[in-house]
Amino acid sequence: MMLFWPCLIGSLLILDKYAFGEFGLSQPIITGTIIGAINGDIHTGILIGGVFQLIFMGGLPIGRDIPPDGPGASIVAAGSYFLLSRINAPGQSLFAAAVFGLLASIIGGQIEINARRINEKLYHRFLRDEKCLTRCHFLGLLTAFGRGISVFFPFFLAASLIRIPVSAPVLDQQRLITVGISVGLANGIYLFFRRSSLLYIVLGGICGLILLAT
Amino acid sequence: MRLDLARHLKIFASTLFIQTSWSFFSMQGMGFLHSILSGTTRERRDRTMKEQKGFFNTHPYLASYVIGAALRLYDDGGRTAEEIKRFLAVAQTGFASTGDLLFWRSLRPALLMLSTVLAFKTGVAGMIAFLIVYNIFHLYHRFSGIYVGYINSVNTIFLLKSRRFVLLQRLSDLLGAAAVGLLIGIAKPVLPSLLIIPLTLFFSTLVMRRIPAILTVLMLLAIIILLGII
Repeated sequence: MMLFWPCLIGSLLILDKYAFGEFGLSQPIITGTIIGAINGDIHTGILIGGVFQLIFMGGLPIGRDIPPDGPGASIVAAGSYFLLSRINAPGQSLFAAAVFGLLASIIGGQIEINARRINEKLYHRFLRDEKCLTRCHFLGLLTAFGRGISVFFPFFLAASLIRIPVSAPVLDQQRLITVGISVGLANGIYLFFRRSSLLYIVLGGICGLILLAT
Repeated sequence: MRLDLARHLKIFASTLFIQTSWSFFSMQGMGFLHSILSGTTRERRDRTMKEQKGFFNTHPYLASYVIGAALRLYDDGGRTAEEIKRFLAVAQTGFASTGDLLFWRSLRPALLMLSTVLAFKTGVAGMIAFLIVYNIFHLYHRFSGIYVGYINSVNTIFLLKSRRFVLLQRLSDLLGAAAVGLLIGIAKPVLPSLLIIPLTLFFSTLVMRRIPAILTVLMLLAIIILLGII
């Protein structure tokens, strides 16, 4: 039961990315916050979601290209952290959750290829029988849901079972934010840095400093 | 057949599922066909099914424009299957590149960066602000695109150069630039660790050189493990 809810919520949230609407509900900052709120620690949820958001900001799903699964990574990282931290120290839980999240982004991308191959079979099924268009099309929802479960379940199972030794690596929140902001800045510079936009970057920086002072 | 509200809503609801059965072979083919058929009368159903049973791929939000225009062509009649196919080939490519540039490369990352900064500072407000602002633009194009596509028919492709896209993209780029500055501003407390400078330079080099994203993630993983150990 402890594993059921994170898997279900994660798989429902990921439908937004792969099957229904794309309202932005699957974005890491949103999923992190939701998972944090469910587990009663919204601050850590925002932190993990925010860091993964900055890391996967540049992954653009253009054409046939399948970037690493950023939304899945955030769900795995946030969900794993709360499962791990029940029996482990916060620093070690955060380290393991970050590693789990990054691994999930790679595995999620690979599983996405398989999910799309299953959809291909549905398409061929439709070509054989035109009457089943609606059924074959909406079975894609089940493919996307199953894809979510197959990414999340192994990680959440591992997170609920692992007891991290005291001597294991530790990651504090400050270091995680540093890494997140570094990759976020790299992505931001790549996406938005132009000579004509320099003034706006400076203005944004001044606003950031004012925001920090308040 | 007119594009009344009931028909419009039915098509709009089906466009929300356009990516549901995405495959490498037909991409959004089934989703597009399902959307078109949801707004087609029984008499035109067979012709549409026969002619549109294939490949289709465009930006999911801007697909509404193409769907609206295609529906108008079928409603008016008089166009051959070849003419409709040729129009769809041009329109889907044009709207795909415009949508990718506008939403995936500009508006979404700009708003996400801004909302992440706000979330770090204010909590849930950043996330709510993102969902509201982003979906105003997203749903506006998704909903009105059907009508605009239907009214403009084949001329819909000329809209790609219109203010509704050009202005929004320029605005998003500026917003994104300001968000980068904002991120630098709020990064001040972590600057004393000095780690942020070499890491930013390192990842900027990777991104600029277009190193495959998986390699970037693996390097990030190595850095996190290293930071955990030391």
